[in-house]
Amino acid sequence: MSVGQSPLRHDAAAKTDGSIEYAGDTVPAGALQAVVVFSGRAHARMLLMSTDSALAVPGVVDIITAADAPVNEYGLTMRDQPALVGVDHTGAAAVDAAVSRWEADQIAVVIAETRAAATAGAAAIEVEWEDLPLVDNIDAALAPKAPLVHPENGLDTNAYHHLRIRKGDPDFGFALAYAVIDEVYEVPHQEHAYLQPEAGTAYIDNEGRVTIEIGGQWTSEDREQVAHVLGLPEDRVRIIYKAIGGAFGGKEDMSIQIALGLAAMRLAERGEHRPIHCRWSREESIVGHHKRHRGRIRIRLGATHDGTITALEADVDLDAGAYNYTSNKVLGNAHVSVAGAYRIPHARIDSRAIYTTTVPGGAFRGFGGPQGHFAIESAVNRLAAELGIDPVEMRLRNALVDGDDGITQTVMPEGVSMREVITACSLQAELDEALPDPEPFSPIASLPSATTSLRRGRGFAAGFKNIGFSFGFPERCEAEIVLNGNPNDETPTSAELFHGGAEVGQGAHLAMRQMASDATGVSLDDVHGHFSDTATSGDPGSASASRLTFMAGNSILGAAEEAEKAWREGDRPARGFFRYTPPPTEALDPETGTGAPNFCYGYMAQCIEVTVDVDTGHIRVDRVTSTHDVGKAINPALVRGQIEGAVVQAHGYAISEDLQLADGFITNPRFSSYLIPGIGDIPLQVDSQILEFADPLGPFGARGVAEMPFITYTPALTAAVHDATGLWFNTFPLTPSRVLGGLQAAEE
Amino acid sequence: MEYAAPTTVDEARTLLADNPGSRVFAGATDVVPQMRSGRPEPSVLIDLKLIDRLMSVTHDNGHWTIGAAMPTSELTSNGEFTSVFPGISEGAGWIGSDQIQNRSSLGGNLCNGSPAADSVPAMIASEARAVIAGTDGERTIPVADVVTGPGQLSLADGEFVVEFEIDDPPANTGDAYIRMTPRTEMDIAIVGAAVRVTMNGDTCTDARVVLGAVAPTAVRVPDAEAALIGSSLDEAALAEVTAAASAAANPINDKRGTIEYRVQVAGVLAKRAAVLAAERARA
Ligand SMILES: Cc1cc2nc3c(=O)[nH]c(=O)nc-3n(C[C@H](O)[C@H](O)[C@H](O)COP(=O)(O)OP(=O)(O)OC[C@H]3O[C@@H](n4cnc5c(N)ncnc54)[C@H](O)[C@@H]3O)c2cc1C
Repeated sequence: MSVGQSPLRHDAAAKTDGSIEYAGDTVPAGALQAVVVFSGRAHARMLLMSTDSALAVPGVVDIITAADAPVNEYGLTMRDQPALVGVDHTGAAAVDAAVSRWEADQIAVVIAETRAAATAGAAAIEVEWEDLPLVDNIDAALAPKAPLVHPENGLDTNAYHHLRIRKGDPDFGFALAYAVIDEVYEVPHQEHAYLQPEAGTAYIDNEGRVTIEIGGQWTSEDREQVAHVLGLPEDRVRIIYKAIGGAFGGKEDMSIQIALGLAAMRLAERGEHRPIHCRWSREESIVGHHKRHRGRIRIRLGATHDGTITALEADVDLDAGAYNYTSNKVLGNAHVSVAGAYRIPHARIDSRAIYTTTVPGGAFRGFGGPQGHFAIESAVNRLAAELGIDPVEMRLRNALVDGDDGITQTVMPEGVSMREVITACSLQAELDEALPDPEPFSPIASLPSATTSLRRGRGFAAGFKNIGFSFGFPERCEAEIVLNGNPNDETPTSAELFHGGAEVGQGAHLAMRQMASDATGVSLDDVHGHFSDTATSGDPGSASASRLTFMAGNSILGAAEEAEKAWREGDRPARGFFRYTPPPTEALDPETGTGAPNFCYGYMAQCIEVTVDVDTGHIRVDRVTSTHDVGKAINPALVRGQIEGAVVQAHGYAISEDLQLADGFITNPRFSSYLIPGIGDIPLQVDSQILEFADPLGPFGARGVAEMPFITYTPALTAAVHDATGLWFNTFPLTPSRVLGGLQAAEE
Repeated sequence: MEYAAPTTVDEARTLLADNPGSRVFAGATDVVPQMRSGRPEPSVLIDLKLIDRLMSVTHDNGHWTIGAAMPTSELTSNGEFTSVFPGISEGAGWIGSDQIQNRSSLGGNLCNGSPAADSVPAMIASEARAVIAGTDGERTIPVADVVTGPGQLSLADGEFVVEFEIDDPPANTGDAYIRMTPRTEMDIAIVGAAVRVTMNGDTCTDARVVLGAVAPTAVRVPDAEAALIGSSLDEAALAEVTAAASAAANPINDKRGTIEYRVQVAGVLAKRAAVLAAERARA
């Protein structure tokens, strides 16, 4: 048995000694270099572009512009973005391709002998723009007569996607309440900050396919989007993933894929067959790809004396930025999670995705869950404090159980473990014991602190996250297994697994091999993976939504069964292909929000202990208890890795990461001023508590875990800071300036 | 842009004089990022690291001499120096990371002219002097007089810092430097405070209080020094130090910290540094 064990990752040695090949490492000999040119305009109409002087720069080979795009529109869930902004395009596009709607709209791809020449060429491109009015935040976008960012969609508002929930009678519910809190929460942007910025190489392979070697999250979807712009059938495009240095949702949308694909196709037509390489700098990466959505959530929550929730009202506004990316889906998730994993008899929720002329919002670990949970979990903590009820007890009183309807008025998928998770977390965190006295910050921080200024506190939060795609998306995952052996062998001697699922650093390929090993009875060492190449593997769906273990596992179980059938029939090698489809989900009713949005959830709870220096506003997290029902830990070490990694990433979101925008431009696109946590900043201790309440649909009972530890961190942290200081923060990051400012304001 | 690596102070002096628009450098940990972010390139980049005098540390005749281009890691790993001037060593030890400190120099930290330079406040608190070479020979001025504003120096064209001199402190003297950064390391100070005190039993007989990152240059805070001298660093004296340091802070708003924050925390850090320095002086 391999499932449930933590064997060494097969990519561990090569990742440790640096020999593994990331897309940015492998520049084929003689490759040309490409630079993607950004518009540098937040909102402007292109009047004229001339590439004449740029083409005259020594070393410049060619320049791809809008005129080269057979179809000049793309998008993962809505095609609202031009592939290249330009005036002279002839390709079909539903969107006005002459308008730049954020600073990193792409306008050209300069291909040259060297990167220096390509950069010089990029600087020599001449463009004339007519500035259009800025719409650089959601207030500006919602103002009466605000300029429309996408007039072509026919709406008279920038709030282009609106979801509703109408359940029971909220007025009645609030009338039953003994206490009601009414708060506005602001959530900030977050940058993915993956180790490896975007990089890739494009060429025409020996079967004539436009081929892109890159890092991403969903091979088949990348192929679909590239093929659409190139005007090619999908089988004329091939996507191969090299080793991927992190993604976190930030590589779910296109970055340089289309630019590279267009360049390879057009240059080949013009007789130039050398491969083309492109690699973004950190600054290009931060400016050029989407962010976790910033937004504003107003929430009203009422409960009776004993803490029973009676009603909820919420207005969720997310800044989608210039293009939809996956905003409509992220919004759906925020919309459902803003009600928490609670029984709420009466509710009204209105959620909107809003276009602005700023960096797009998009997928990022948690996918709307962190925003929704920050609001509901903060509100629950606040209401509990107001009622004088223990926050754990308050949650246990309201938590959903099997058989309950969720907020969308359909029964929750079987296996609701919210109560068990909350209880386990509260026990593990030893909540009944008083916190020990504070210890000085030294020597980790640069502040040897007088213990007289230190305050300790702890906070709690809990929640849930869907596993798999939601709202009626045709969810699927394909696998192929080949069993090798001689005709008279009773059992196979080795197995090949063909799977598209992306190894973004999380260890998915090892977990898949482990599941294939158990499914086929072939020992792990003899299960060989062939991964993430559209020429050899089927549609895996995305490495996102905490879905890959669940979906890939089920596809592998199915493929193994098929292969075994063929084996028993005497096939050598014996092949089995399987396309797994989970129970269908539903889009929510546009008026009432009724529907079954998801087929599986993971449940989590966290307790955080902090020390706050009230003289400097510096926060140290002393201990995090992170409790997760993962159904089954296919590989416990990988599960712990996800928990610890997500906690650190969430810590940055909560404490220090502060993306700054001025007039639509990101002003701190580098790590010297966009501060991700260092080793001295992260929590001193993370206790990962793994629970295994098998999911009835999960492979081996598995659910998912990748996003859950991120989602509840911020509200648990702000509750701990409240416990320490008496102050509630409705916005973050809790930088020293913000914390001390809050303490000073409270004193006055 | 050309590169030159003189091996003597005279050679460096001549190179500077002969090449308008040239510039000296040591670790280049400021110079290279600045060029990458678009600062004009100098005509000649003059590497100071092959000149022995700028790369050594010595202790004789009652003072320390520290080469201006010497990597700060050589200073922080010098046990004898660090035991005498823990505050200066601490300041140098906050620069960047181990990798940065294997390149960064005291001369570069000072002459980059950043108000947030971590090694500068403690050097001023110990009244360090800079030995400056120029076309007309050498002159020696207080470190406190080298920087006149952000990126602005009192050095004339063709001048550069050869070394720093610091006198041995009197008995029962201790110094300390602490800083506040939003992130605990690999970050730039939003407030820095260096304090040096000399104690006679429980009474403070001499004190220097210097703040970094809260004004166009590092600033001394005479009112805080006066509050310390003659006191036993009692609550009342420390409250005066806190108030005086906050009053002396004249910071800017930026991405890392607000004006209000820097003003408030300047007082907190000055107080904490004073307590730490006094502990060391008594030890
Ligand atoms: C990642 C990173 C982190 C950093 N963190 C910190 C930090 O925490 N705290 C901090 O204070 N600094 C920090 N710095 C800035 C920098 O490392 C320091 O200022 C360092 O001390 C500069 O020394 P250097 O020898 O590298 O200077 P260089 O870059 O060589 O020179 C800096 C400037 O000084 C001039 N100069 C150099 N030597 C002389 C001389 N002898 N006479 C006259 N002029 C001279 C140069 O012409 C140039 O203008 C950081 C830098 C980086 C890249």
